[in-house]
Amino acid sequence: MILERLARSKLLQTRWRQLIIFLTVMGPGIITSNVDNDAGGITTYSLAGAHFGYAFIWALIPIAIALILVQEMSARMGVVTGKGLADLIREKFGVKITFYLLMALFLTNLGNTISEFAGVAASLEIVHVSRYVSVPLAAFLVWLLVVKFNYKAVEKVFLVASAFYISYILTGFMVKPEWGAVRGGFLNPQVRLDATHLAMLVALVGTTIAPWMQFYLQSAIVEKNVKLENYKHSRLDVIIGSFTVNIVAFFIILVCAATLYKHGIRIQTASDAALALEPLTKNYATYLFAFGLLNASLFAASILPLSTAYVICEGLGWEDGVNKTFAQAPGFYGLYTLLIFLGAVAVLFPKLHLVPVMYFSQVINGILLPVILIFILFVINDRKVMGSYVNSKFYNISILTLIALIGLCSILLIITGI
Amino acid sequence: MTDQTLKMFVFLSDLLNRRVVTPYGQSLGKVHDFKIVLGELFPRVSAVCVKKLTERQIRILDWREVETINGNLLKTKGAQPALLPTLEVKEQEILLREEILDKQVVDTFGAKIERVNDIHLLMTDGELRVVHVDVGLRGIFRRLGWSKLVDGATNWLFSYQIPERLISWKFVQPLAEDPVRKTLKLNVTQRNMGEINPSDLADILEELDHQKRRAVFGSLELETAAEALEEVVPQMQSQLLDNLKRERVADIVEEMAPDEAVDLLSRLSEDKQVRILEEIAREKREVLEKLLMHPEGKAGSIMTTEFVTLNQKLTVAEALEQIRRDFSELEVIYYVYVVDKLSHLIGVLSLRELLLANPSATLEELMFRAVKKVKVSDSKKKVLNLFRKYDFVVVPVVDKDNVVKGTITLKDAIQAAIPEFKKKR
Repeated sequence: MILERLARSKLLQTRWRQLIIFLTVMGPGIITSNVDNDAGGITTYSLAGAHFGYAFIWALIPIAIALILVQEMSARMGVVTGKGLADLIREKFGVKITFYLLMALFLTNLGNTISEFAGVAASLEIVHVSRYVSVPLAAFLVWLLVVKFNYKAVEKVFLVASAFYISYILTGFMVKPEWGAVRGGFLNPQVRLDATHLAMLVALVGTTIAPWMQFYLQSAIVEKNVKLENYKHSRLDVIIGSFTVNIVAFFIILVCAATLYKHGIRIQTASDAALALEPLTKNYATYLFAFGLLNASLFAASILPLSTAYVICEGLGWEDGVNKTFAQAPGFYGLYTLLIFLGAVAVLFPKLHLVPVMYFSQVINGILLPVILIFILFVINDRKVMGSYVNSKFYNISILTLIALIGLCSILLIITGI
Repeated sequence: MTDQTLKMFVFLSDLLNRRVVTPYGQSLGKVHDFKIVLGELFPRVSAVCVKKLTERQIRILDWREVETINGNLLKTKGAQPALLPTLEVKEQEILLREEILDKQVVDTFGAKIERVNDIHLLMTDGELRVVHVDVGLRGIFRRLGWSKLVDGATNWLFSYQIPERLISWKFVQPLAEDPVRKTLKLNVTQRNMGEINPSDLADILEELDHQKRRAVFGSLELETAAEALEEVVPQMQSQLLDNLKRERVADIVEEMAPDEAVDLLSRLSEDKQVRILEEIAREKREVLEKLLMHPEGKAGSIMTTEFVTLNQKLTVAEALEQIRRDFSELEVIYYVYVVDKLSHLIGVLSLRELLLANPSATLEELMFRAVKKVKVSDSKKKVLNLFRKYDFVVVPVVDKDNVVKGTITLKDAIQAAIPEFKKKR
């Protein structure tokens, strides 16, 4: 009897230990995935729901699996090598290739940053705040957060911001969707090969799996200094993160399908969606939706420039880190500031149309992603770097298939875009 | 090389990928890498690694076989065998491209980690020697092939040229690992790393990836390792010790200041604690065990056991003699505590007062009698209040019989009160 209780308490103890370890390791995966639901993501999901109803919700399942596969590699490289992705690419391929790759990443992420500030502007214009007020203010806040605080504080703010995505789930229940049709969307997936459907599918994949994530996730895991024996916790973190992105995406599609699609309302942006909800739902759904968009945009507007600055400094061997001062790491803070500045200023140009900007940033994301994935495959299959933690053959085949699919999709997207 | 008088600087990136040919025009492949032998201040290239496009294998050409490096060619002295010997790297040898170029190194002079953009070599007396590593932006542009473009642009715009940032090889510690011993291949001598300030060394350790961190830590001399260990963040302390042999851990802990050692031990599991303590010399072990027994939060748990006590009857000259003889191991001495023959604390003198006093005066004549002190069982808060109230940097800790058991420095007290003070993150 006593022995049994002792054994059980021991078991409970180890479970507790495991949970505590998980909580300390947790963060990078969940944060990365949630940044992924940024302004561009929300727009894409809203469009999918408003224009195609429940027709695309099945796609979220394969997207989630692909996301897990890709991110798991980054997490594994981070834990095993203790180095960032840019470091590993530099050491394997030399400065030349790394430099051009980083330039491409800089441009891509600048495009993404612009679309985040566009999201801030759009969400606050719903509550009649001029973008000439909201965008500079948001840029300043985001800049201050990183320049004035250390990584632990920043991560906490980010985790709290992740929790705000619940506003979409709340909206999802408020609009009372037809659950039968939802089930149908999952059980009878419709794959139509006409141009509009394909473009939508491409956009969904492109917005969920983005190149910057691989760099950010790996660096964040390295920063956490996760031990090899705790790798499984990092993997769980990635898996949970990947599912939450897709759950949030599901609810956004749901909201737009249950309201806008049903009434045949066409939209162009996420804020269109929020505004269009007002007469249909007669409740706070509009504001919740707008708040979700603001939160997501702010969140991503701080992480994207941050991750870009990190990655470039890492690859070129410059001083980096939020724990250093401006004078110690001028390159790092310079790049960070430049990205935020350019991103915010671009949105303030009166003639700039935000929809093509978002579209364009997704296209270059889509082109860069397969390239980055190929580099990842080279690094992760190098036994000198990964030891026994190289990819299995099956894993390699899955990723290669994914690369081929994304590559194909990107080409299609460019063609349909023109 | 034949032309013995030729002296010129050349960058590694310029030499790589040149074609290797014999005087008879036979091509042996391309320059893939250079092998150097560590040990000299500016080490010599001992061999050229040659690779053929059609072959995976890397082959080696002894430097004595090299005639000239001219244009895009590297000419050998005579005919070479059709198949050169394959590459082997011995303990004290390093491959420049494989292990230095694009990799991180420690700049032991600037005490930080740098990434190598290029390597600067000097051709002199027919030998090729490594003299600098290039860590600057200029090196990056050179390798991108943009040097002229960038120079032109900065000259035209700002009348400015991006300066070279070169680090002399004597201050470079490569992070290449000896595959067998899992320690670093050391440049020049071990001294190099030991000259870095311990807290800078701790920063360097924290910045490295875990494998390199282990290799660097494993290559440090005991004293340096102990000092660095005192400075790294607590989470990393146990990680650094995890992969070491128990004897070495014990040796390092023995080298640490007692209060730091106790801090470290108290964070380990009881099991590990015991196993480390077992290995430590008896005298030191007893000190540590006693310190470990003091409950957390009391003065006894933050004190260190290194201090100077002297008998009241001694003259100043005798006192200084005794300090030289018995207390040379102590890291710092701010005060000497004066005791009677039963070891009771009766007075205090600062080292300054002792140095400036008449050598024939006795301590009891000079000492300050109203000593501010705390008891082993006093709370941390009381210690802090004492520091706040009075202007001194060390306070003695006594037991219930007024016998000195240890001292607490202002820094120890601050660390105990504000844990963040120690950690940088």
